[in-house]
Amino acid sequence: MDKAISVKALTIAYGAATAISAVDLDIAKGKVTVLAGPNGCGKSTLLRAIRRLHQPKSGEIRLGDMPISGLKEKELARHIGLLAQSPSAPDDMSVEELVRLGRYPHQTMLQPWSAADADAIQAAMFGTGVSHLSERRLGSLSGGQLQRVWIAMVLAQETDIICLDEPVNHLDMAHQIDCLDLVTRLNREHGRTVVLVLHDLNLAARYADRLVFMKDGSMVADGAPVELMREELIEDVFGISCRVIEDPVHQRPLCIPIRNSSPRFGAAPQS
Amino acid sequence: MSFLTPRLSPALARINRRAWVAVGIIATVAVVLALCGVGFGSTWIEPRRVVEILMGEGARGERVVVLQLRAPRVAIAALAGGAMAVAGYLLQKVTRNELASPGVLGVIGGAGLGVVIFLALLSDESNSLVTSIVWQPMAAMIGASLAIAAVFLLSGQQASSAVRLLLFGIAVGAVCKAATLILMIVGPIYRTTQASRWLAGAVNEINWGEVQVVAIGLAIAMVGVVAVARRLPPTDLDEVSARGLGLNLPVFRILVFALASALTALAVAFAGGVGFIGLMAPHLARLIVGRPVLAGIAASFLLGAIMLIGADLIVRVLFAPTEVPAGTVTAVIGTPYFLYLVLRRGSTNG
Repeated sequence: MDKAISVKALTIAYGAATAISAVDLDIAKGKVTVLAGPNGCGKSTLLRAIRRLHQPKSGEIRLGDMPISGLKEKELARHIGLLAQSPSAPDDMSVEELVRLGRYPHQTMLQPWSAADADAIQAAMFGTGVSHLSERRLGSLSGGQLQRVWIAMVLAQETDIICLDEPVNHLDMAHQIDCLDLVTRLNREHGRTVVLVLHDLNLAARYADRLVFMKDGSMVADGAPVELMREELIEDVFGISCRVIEDPVHQRPLCIPIRNSSPRFGAAPQS
Repeated sequence: MSFLTPRLSPALARINRRAWVAVGIIATVAVVLALCGVGFGSTWIEPRRVVEILMGEGARGERVVVLQLRAPRVAIAALAGGAMAVAGYLLQKVTRNELASPGVLGVIGGAGLGVVIFLALLSDESNSLVTSIVWQPMAAMIGASLAIAAVFLLSGQQASSAVRLLLFGIAVGAVCKAATLILMIVGPIYRTTQASRWLAGAVNEINWGEVQVVAIGLAIAMVGVVAVARRLPPTDLDEVSARGLGLNLPVFRILVFALASALTALAVAFAGGVGFIGLMAPHLARLIVGRPVLAGIAASFLLGAIMLIGADLIVRVLFAPTEVPAGTVTAVIGTPYFLYLVLRRGSTNG
């Protein structure tokens, strides 16, 4: 397996609280890796750490062969794109202005703006289907359109690796599918390595080439969706008793939650 | 100038062109107002005549009035107002908060206190400085930097939280103003003609030497401003997105704060604590020219210059021959403006 990113014995703490501890993970080049787990399991922290937004307490993250700690900010931003969990931009900014910002890491003092930048912006807007919106203000867009525009911004960055932190959180079901189909297409057609944090286990199983389960700051399991989507494992990680069947349309495992089995939330009432 | 007008789509080129046309119009207003500022006084000299005198014509008496008495005053008003406005523009951008400004973040208070301490320590019996006037902006800069550093440190982890930053800024500013007042009452400064300057900000009694110090300092600071301007666009986004684009926001923010402190200090060192220009001018500039950064900085500078020249003109027209500090006018106009922004913010942000 070709590794895009390798995480070794990574521990990250916020003050005294350990957010993730001793995580080892290789992210395969050209694949869609989905980090999943219950709230507060550290999946978003891990994603942000990969993009060096958190200083590790110990351990190391490598981009190919290079430790990311040695890279310059803009250099790193030319390798890894990040769509934040709740990104925000001024309402009066135009779509094109936002997508243009994706070129920021490619601009230098000597080469502030090039034809390659203009091409990347066009391609990114075309690829995400927002070309016709280019002059619209962000405030006038629907949630689904807005998310496409943000993805276009990350795409304009032209990075090999794209990290998306819960990209479908605020979207309705149609736009969730729409958004993840778009991300999958970027992966399949352009060979981009994609790392996703997803809340919804079934969406994770449907879109992941490789699934990573996290719980309480540790990595619990890592493998293809068919390997990980086992009833006892899901119960252990997510605290729900469930049945797993095969999705008749996509032939992916599908989890049907039965009841909350986690003592954290108190015993589920028996009927 | 491919640096200023990068390859743009027609839509963005239009926005950019419109912004620079607006800057041109504001510049024209600024020039006309500056000429009126020089022309107005106990004897009115019409703008065309002012230009002639500036070009080297005119009788000796006229020349002294224009070149020695009035022009430095207008020049310092333009430079100080402009510097504070640009400082405000940078702060508003990097904090993503239209309420941020050198005044609200305590920088003006810190710079003023720095100068007053400097004057108190380094004046002799007859209230004249025992050292070069060049050090005065340095003192202001130290005060300004300490003030914004204090605000930044007090806000701690939540430095990106706009409300905390503003609250600590207002608090630090208030402490500095109180200390300034005490120093003026117990110290030797109250006897000087500059006293009103450190209370409210004024541009009377300025000489070319002081203008020169500010102009040189400003020219140096502007190099920094242009360098910083290129990195400003991502600051329109939330912190995580901006950092994702490769802008090291924690470091960049400190850089911008330092630059804004320097700009404010230059202004405060000679024009005193003129409030609200750093709040109003950049805000208006963004309303007029929109997002383009360099045009926004230029417009901020010009509007800041217009505001302080205008405020000084107003006090001269209304209160002459009494010298009322120009800062009283900016405060009278600025306070309701600030309240308007706060209330509007309250209603849109729930």
